[in-house]
Amino acid sequence: MPPESENPGTEAPIPIGTGALDADLGIGPDGAGVVEAAPGEAGPGGGPWAVAWRRLRRNKVALFSLAVFLLIVICCLLAPVWANQVAHTGPNTTHTLEKLHVGGEVREVVEPSGKAIGPQWFEAGGKFFLGADGHLGRDEMVRLLYGGRSSLFIGIVAALITTILAVTFALLAGYYGGWPDTIISRAMDVIWAFPVVLLGISLGIVLAVGGLVIGPIHLKSSSLWIPTLIIGVVYTPYMARPLRGEILALREKEFIEAAIAQGASGFRIMFVELLPNLLSTIIVFFTLNIANNMLLEAVLSYLGAGVQPPSSSWGTMISEGFQALYSQPILTIIPGTAILLTVLSVNVFGDGLRDALDPKSKVRFEARAGTAAEMDNPI
Amino acid sequence: MKKLPNFLLIAALVAVLAAGLAACGGGGSSSGKPTTSEGGGAGAEGKEGGTLKGAYTSFPDYMDPQISYTAEGWTAMRPVYIPLLTYKHAEGEEGAEIIPGLAKELPKITNGDKTYTMFLRKGLKYSNGEEIKAGDFKYAVERCFLTNSGGSPFYTDIAGAEQFAKTKKGGISGIKVNESTGEIVINLMKPQGTFPNTLALMFVAPIPQKTPAEDQSAHPIPASGPYYLTKSEPGRGWEYERNPYWAKDNGKQLTEIPSGHVDKIEIEVLRNQSTQVNDVESGKLNWIFDPPPTDRYTEVKEKFEGTQFRPEPTISTYYFWMNETVEPFSNQKVREAVNYAVDPAALERIYTGQIKGTQQILPPGMPGYEKFELFPHNVKKAKELIAESGIKDKEVTVWTDSESPNNDAGTYYQGLLNEIGLKAELKILNPDNYFTVIGNRSTPNLDTGFSDWFEDFPHPNDFFDILLNGESIQNTNNQNFSQTNVPELNKKIDKLAEEQLGPQQEKEYAELDKEFMEHAAWAPYGTRTLSLFVSSNINLETAIWNPTFETELTSLEFKE
Repeated sequence: MPPESENPGTEAPIPIGTGALDADLGIGPDGAGVVEAAPGEAGPGGGPWAVAWRRLRRNKVALFSLAVFLLIVICCLLAPVWANQVAHTGPNTTHTLEKLHVGGEVREVVEPSGKAIGPQWFEAGGKFFLGADGHLGRDEMVRLLYGGRSSLFIGIVAALITTILAVTFALLAGYYGGWPDTIISRAMDVIWAFPVVLLGISLGIVLAVGGLVIGPIHLKSSSLWIPTLIIGVVYTPYMARPLRGEILALREKEFIEAAIAQGASGFRIMFVELLPNLLSTIIVFFTLNIANNMLLEAVLSYLGAGVQPPSSSWGTMISEGFQALYSQPILTIIPGTAILLTVLSVNVFGDGLRDALDPKSKVRFEARAGTAAEMDNPI
Repeated sequence: MKKLPNFLLIAALVAVLAAGLAACGGGGSSSGKPTTSEGGGAGAEGKEGGTLKGAYTSFPDYMDPQISYTAEGWTAMRPVYIPLLTYKHAEGEEGAEIIPGLAKELPKITNGDKTYTMFLRKGLKYSNGEEIKAGDFKYAVERCFLTNSGGSPFYTDIAGAEQFAKTKKGGISGIKVNESTGEIVINLMKPQGTFPNTLALMFVAPIPQKTPAEDQSAHPIPASGPYYLTKSEPGRGWEYERNPYWAKDNGKQLTEIPSGHVDKIEIEVLRNQSTQVNDVESGKLNWIFDPPPTDRYTEVKEKFEGTQFRPEPTISTYYFWMNETVEPFSNQKVREAVNYAVDPAALERIYTGQIKGTQQILPPGMPGYEKFELFPHNVKKAKELIAESGIKDKEVTVWTDSESPNNDAGTYYQGLLNEIGLKAELKILNPDNYFTVIGNRSTPNLDTGFSDWFEDFPHPNDFFDILLNGESIQNTNNQNFSQTNVPELNKKIDKLAEEQLGPQQEKEYAELDKEFMEHAAWAPYGTRTLSLFVSSNINLETAIWNPTFETELTSLEFKE
């Protein structure tokens, strides 16, 4: 256990070391961007990561959020177990005309009026735990778990895509400057000029009809990769621009000049010298990006441009539930609550992570509704 | 069909009424507040005057008689534009009877059923006071072609029409008019048994010849009917008032066409159907065009049936088409398997009781309809047929639109195809462009999907010729989605199309229905029930639902 801070309200500078990990916290060899640590954090055996971890451990809310998020992920990963062992049905299996035997009583899964059976909890052995999803009589709980897999897959993988693209473009544009910077920055501006949702809908609708064919790669319109790629691409400028700004500042530092003087190649400078300095920012962006991606997925799916039916995602479930909003609001509330909990937990954890990795940074990722990402204090 | 399936789909309806809100200006003694639903007993006396307030979920495709081809448009313009012939303002079979409209009497048919002669009534006027002339009819037909109306194919059998369609110049030589006598002579290239029906469509309602040959949805054309449009704002709504020349001139001669009860009608576009229901319940609206949303249909039906709500059967068929030109549906066993697998009972539930199960092309109520059931629901048999066909795990694409519950029907169908041994992928499109996409033969993977068809006119040819005749297959705007092309059946359709409908023809159409289903051209699953929902101060008893035009706005009246 690290010693408790005598004065948690004050932060002392972390001693500057050498090597990449120093840079992880936004610390340049010249000491610029020094991250302050609480007293006692920087013991002889405490590297920057250990310092960050100690800070994070003190943030109980962030850790609780992480636990909630991990719990949701685990539940969703166990969807096939629930479907096969408990509900005995698949996420797309319809039960329109079936009857359910509950405690000697026979209930129709879908009434002639079209109203679906409500939550049965464990009364029917786990079948229709959250009820059925409307006229088709699909098991709402099974669809919720499978839908969570889709939403989480899109949120996390799209964040990875955004990160890879944004870091690559930011390094090329920021380090080389000149025409590579001009081309990349203007391309980013073009994407940035479109409201995220509008661009996502446009791409989603186009690809929802014919799928995506790039050379030998053929993605069907129903593929989860299509909304994933769309979301990953449309958010790229919102991460690439602040990273580029950070690189522009970093490349003027002495350690970069020293690397150049020693004959280091551009590749080495970008990926060995600059990239480690960006790591804390990237990690924070990545985390917050997951939450934004899940929200955008929900919006696109709600509007029919994301995950394609009959596959479920929390967005498609809200869309389907909306058709029965008046008579069965629970069909909208359940996936809505799932999105709320997941996005909230990721965001709170992301904030905690940012505080731990770089307490002075004010990185904000606010790409929704076309608001630009902002880096108040790039370095 | 009032084609546009997506619009059609919607066509539900109603009749209205307005609480004779004082603001309505209507006469009398209305309290300014609607009465409760209990207050309106059956057979309540109606009163004249008042302002009827109604709502549509979307603006009609066009508010232009020559161009509109949707139930929304036809219902809206029925009291405004009157063709030479028209359908009786009545329900059921009586509503399918063709009566003289602006023409003095039904046409005299001569020259081997190729020449139609009629006389325009004398002294008729448009709502702007201009005299209605025989040449206005000719211009209306020509304007169909000039505006590339979806209804123009109905008139290509008129001599010179095809040439005019190409050149857009010189007029249609097959239509001769005599302005002094009002005589109108139409010469056809070949006999056409449905021609009287097409003369009764809105497409050829006479309009002033100075009307521009472009969409006039925002600039209402002068009316010949009991009401005229005082305002039309696409996307927002439109309003009617009584045609000042109806009572003094037109109405005296066109006695079979009702003059209407209310003085004004105001229609607004209200996207939220649940809000529409709430507004009718509260009396803010008197009538809504679309049926209550599926989410509230049962509630409304249980609460208001008989007092403010009435289910209305339509002459329509909902079906899954299967593209016969590509595998696996080029194999008849696969098509039969699909017919065995589809369960109309399940689809009735998906449509919350708003369809009645059927497994044939012609719907009940259509001349020539004779009930039969070739493919009783049997999934086991379906699987056996798929096995016999030798086709397994073949990838197919299922198309449907996103309108509820068509989207659910598509999802059900996709699951069913997977269950019997195919690998189906679902594509759900926006209803605004669904039929454009599946009507374009170059669209990839047009394998199978949802469609529906509501009658344009009460003649079985309206179902067979457009939807199943191989000669009607087009590269774009195609309606023969299954691309069915059976030469011997094409010949039968063509032969019957030239004959006037009679008992013998009806029998032959019934046989044709069975032959197409033996061929398993489609997997039909139901005929749609729409509804009439009005506020408590509207007289439901006197509201008329016409099988072609749905709610007769002229029949809506406030209770005393």
